[in-house]
Amino acid sequence: MKTLIEITDLTYKYRSGGGNAVTALNGVTMQVYRGEILAITGQNGSGKSTLARHFNALLTPGSGEVIVDGLSVNDKKNTAAIRRIVGMVFQNPDNQLVSSVVEEDVAFGPENLGLPQAEIVKRVDWALKSLDLEAYRYRSPNSLSEGQKQLVAIAGVLAMKPKCIVLDEPTAHLDPKGKREVLENVQRLNRDEGITTVLLTHSMNEVVHCDRMIIMDQGLIKLTGAPRELFAQAEQIKALGLDLPAAAQLAYGLKLKGLTLPGNILTIEELVASLCQLP
Amino acid sequence: MELTKNITLGVYLPGKSFIHRLDPRTKIIASGIIVILLLMIRSYQAYGAVFIFLAAAVIIAGIPPGYAFSGFKPMLPVLTFMWIFQLFLYSSPDAEVIFSWWIFTATDAGFHMGTLITLRVIFLFGITTLLTLTTSMVSLTDGLESLLSPLKAIGLPTQELVMTMVIALRFVLILAEELDKIVKAQMARGVAFDRGNFIQKTKKIFPVFLPLFISAFKRAEELIIAMEARSYTGGKHRTKMKTLHIGRVDLAAILIMLIFSALIIFLILTVNPTI
Ligand SMILES: Nc1ncnc2c1ncn2[C@@H]1O[C@H](COP(=O)(O)OP(=O)(O)OP(=O)(O)O)[C@@H](O)[C@H]1O
Ligand SMILES: [Mg+2]
Repeated sequence: MKTLIEITDLTYKYRSGGGNAVTALNGVTMQVYRGEILAITGQNGSGKSTLARHFNALLTPGSGEVIVDGLSVNDKKNTAAIRRIVGMVFQNPDNQLVSSVVEEDVAFGPENLGLPQAEIVKRVDWALKSLDLEAYRYRSPNSLSEGQKQLVAIAGVLAMKPKCIVLDEPTAHLDPKGKREVLENVQRLNRDEGITTVLLTHSMNEVVHCDRMIIMDQGLIKLTGAPRELFAQAEQIKALGLDLPAAAQLAYGLKLKGLTLPGNILTIEELVASLCQLP
Repeated sequence: MELTKNITLGVYLPGKSFIHRLDPRTKIIASGIIVILLLMIRSYQAYGAVFIFLAAAVIIAGIPPGYAFSGFKPMLPVLTFMWIFQLFLYSSPDAEVIFSWWIFTATDAGFHMGTLITLRVIFLFGITTLLTLTTSMVSLTDGLESLLSPLKAIGLPTQELVMTMVIALRFVLILAEELDKIVKAQMARGVAFDRGNFIQKTKKIFPVFLPLFISAFKRAEELIIAMEARSYTGGKHRTKMKTLHIGRVDLAAILIMLIFSALIIFLILTVNPTI
């Protein structure tokens, strides 16, 4: 079975105080495939977070269906099992770390799963090692950089051994170095541990490194495909209020000025290679 | 104005000291005993003894004394107010008048009462801070849960209660951080919090509170969602990475506490109360 998460015609409304509801998702159909890195992007308020919160049953569908590894989110009895399968990392590390010691925070998830003590210790060791955090094991998260805090949050989810990790703008609060660290680690976990990864982001430079991307707008999925295909349609991307990756933007700008670079350019490396080919 | 720098309650300073290594239950019970003693103390001599004891604990725990004291800074206005309030309000028949003005009369009894009550609050805060500075959130939770576990028999959801308490403690920090941010944002817009008389200052502070509570609640909600996402469903079925156990350090600590309590009780019984 290739599909890990199968979403069919999902709608979701937030009820606000005044009685008027906000439609956040308006008939979304999509899949998350096993082993891939999927980027979900779109303007503020397009519904990314709302969609992602259905992946691990933090929200239940207004209508439509969400099936995670064969289990329906609509059925409350599946909630615990689904949260074991799909872990979630949020934007602000300060708001998701529970404990005042790194190792205790990483243990929080496995403890909630009711695992035996020896197994918890094993998993905490493993998760800290995977993210190269052993040196900070007994430190307080307060004393770490924002990037390191976010890695601790990822370790906390990793220790639950999920099949899939959903990251909701994990780099939004980080400096360039922190962004790079988090992203590299996410990619490595995907490659080495085969963890299916869903990355919600506003950064097109991050999207470029993903296998597939989904562009949302006003509660709907507007475009789905490989970043390379989608970014080739620069006008469409711009119409949805998004930017191109930096290198692609430069190539696009040059093209508008009448200089068409050879090849389909997404990354800095490709840009350099293409510029070198110019006569 | 760096408010979070002055918040010591709820902060944990990791370490390997004698006090850090104690079982959380030992520390909680010891703190409890000190709290009870503090409520009975009515003489400066006994406060002196408690001060020496706590100062020694701070030094042994390796907490920078400057940091330990900075926690009192935000409380200074309240403490001063409390002291003045007692000074003028409390009196006893045989008290000597220190000075009087209009309808206000300050007596030596009021002076001592104010000082003793202020000292009591300072020490109560101090002992709680010492506990949280040397005990991680999870140890604290585990210790409290273990101590409260007999109450489970009468149907009290002790694990949930303790978790709520721990989150409330984190909330104090979140609140301080948010206040810091908002005050800075207002100052950047030209609000001078440190100028004007008392009423003017209060007026400036007021618009800060609404955004403060809104953002603090939002952050607390995010924390709860993040906990839920990590399969937290209350205490049931939860297991622990570390098991508590009473070791030799704890026996030593219990012995020290017994001697200290005996000394304080001796002082309470023999030294004439100041008030
Ligand atoms: N708790 C809530 N109550 C009411 N409305 C909400 C709530 N959360 C989100 N919304 C609304 O639902 C819509 C989708 O929000 P969502 O947070 O899913 O968007 P997003 O794509 O994640 O945005 P961002 O990029 O800002 O994170 C928005 O119009 C938003 O205002
Ligand atoms: Mg969002």
